[in-house]
Amino acid sequence: MAKAATLSQAEIEGFVERAKRGDKRAFGRLVDEYKDKIYSYVSRMLGDPYEAEDVTQEAFVRAYRSLPRFRGASSFHTWLYRIASNLAIDVVRRRRRNDVSAFSLDEPLESDDGEYEREIADDSGGPEDATGTRETQVAVRRAIMDLPEKLRDVMILYELQGETYEDIAEILDVPLGTVKSRLFNARNQLKERLQSLVEAGEIEVEQ
Amino acid sequence: MTCAEVRENLIVCWGDADELSAEVMAHLADCDECRLEAMLLRETRIMLRALPDEQAPVGLTDGVLARLADEETQPGLLGRVAAWFVPEDQPAWARATAVGVALALAVAGGSVLYHGQQPAGNGPDTVVATTQGQVPGQAEYDELLLRHRALEASQALADDPGVTLVTYYR
Repeated sequence: MAKAATLSQAEIEGFVERAKRGDKRAFGRLVDEYKDKIYSYVSRMLGDPYEAEDVTQEAFVRAYRSLPRFRGASSFHTWLYRIASNLAIDVVRRRRRNDVSAFSLDEPLESDDGEYEREIADDSGGPEDATGTRETQVAVRRAIMDLPEKLRDVMILYELQGETYEDIAEILDVPLGTVKSRLFNARNQLKERLQSLVEAGEIEVEQ
Repeated sequence: MTCAEVRENLIVCWGDADELSAEVMAHLADCDECRLEAMLLRETRIMLRALPDEQAPVGLTDGVLARLADEETQPGLLGRVAAWFVPEDQPAWARATAVGVALALAVAGGSVLYHGQQPAGNGPDTVVATTQGQVPGQAEYDELLLRHRALEASQALADDPGVTLVTYYR
């Protein structure tokens, strides 16, 4: 789950007001506050940390440009999430139109010096757990990416980003019932995808 | 309870026994398949929650601020006008609609879009929009956006008073 905010609500509102008046340093403070949360969400939606960096940056740039229009009817963080969500969904749909698959975490990266393996942060208990944990994480990420984007969105926001049903409804501009329905379907589909991997012996679970 | 009803309950609480009713628990005691479903759901949640936190890359804040600083040196008025006209927090269909309207207004108002080729008879400081008020398709939009960005970086354009750019978002 993304780390907790360090600014109080009053401080955030203060920085927002200053940023609206053109104070970029204040906006930078807001970027620092929310960058992990937004990057985490976008990275999980796109399955590509490099494209996620570009999209996250673009989300903040667009947020700054749109600040004059932000009236505070929603919270700043749900408004920010909405901008990021729109951008991420645009990328997903563009990929589908161009028939581009999500970037595979297992594929090596190409550089001018040749190929090198992508490294994924691993907080497993020790070297004997590393392979199994990494494989499971890759499988789970792949299963999330296999979800339709409307289900993936809700799954990530609720299960991984820790957002409430109400905030998700605001971010995605859908009724609360729709959020719950999509989450229900997302859980079921994710369970079925992982079940097939367990049955194929690609990942193990303790029973 | 039927297996279908039990499985709906299981999905809502990820198969967590602490959140299941006595009726569901009684069903699970006698139903191997539903018990397996509950186990799979619990394991799915465990695997989800075991995913590591994703941290933003170092330098992301600096990158954002650098882009904002760069935009200040560009003809930024149109970017801000476009942001007012095409809200960033609105869904793609609303932005696409606003794109078409912005484009029609830009053409009607004498502003033009660069499309990569200058029609015969036009002066060097005038280019003609290709879409003529119609919302561009994705491929055309992508191409126009790339050309627009190239023009933004062009010093010749920055110095040319006869060309106005409209930036649209999708």
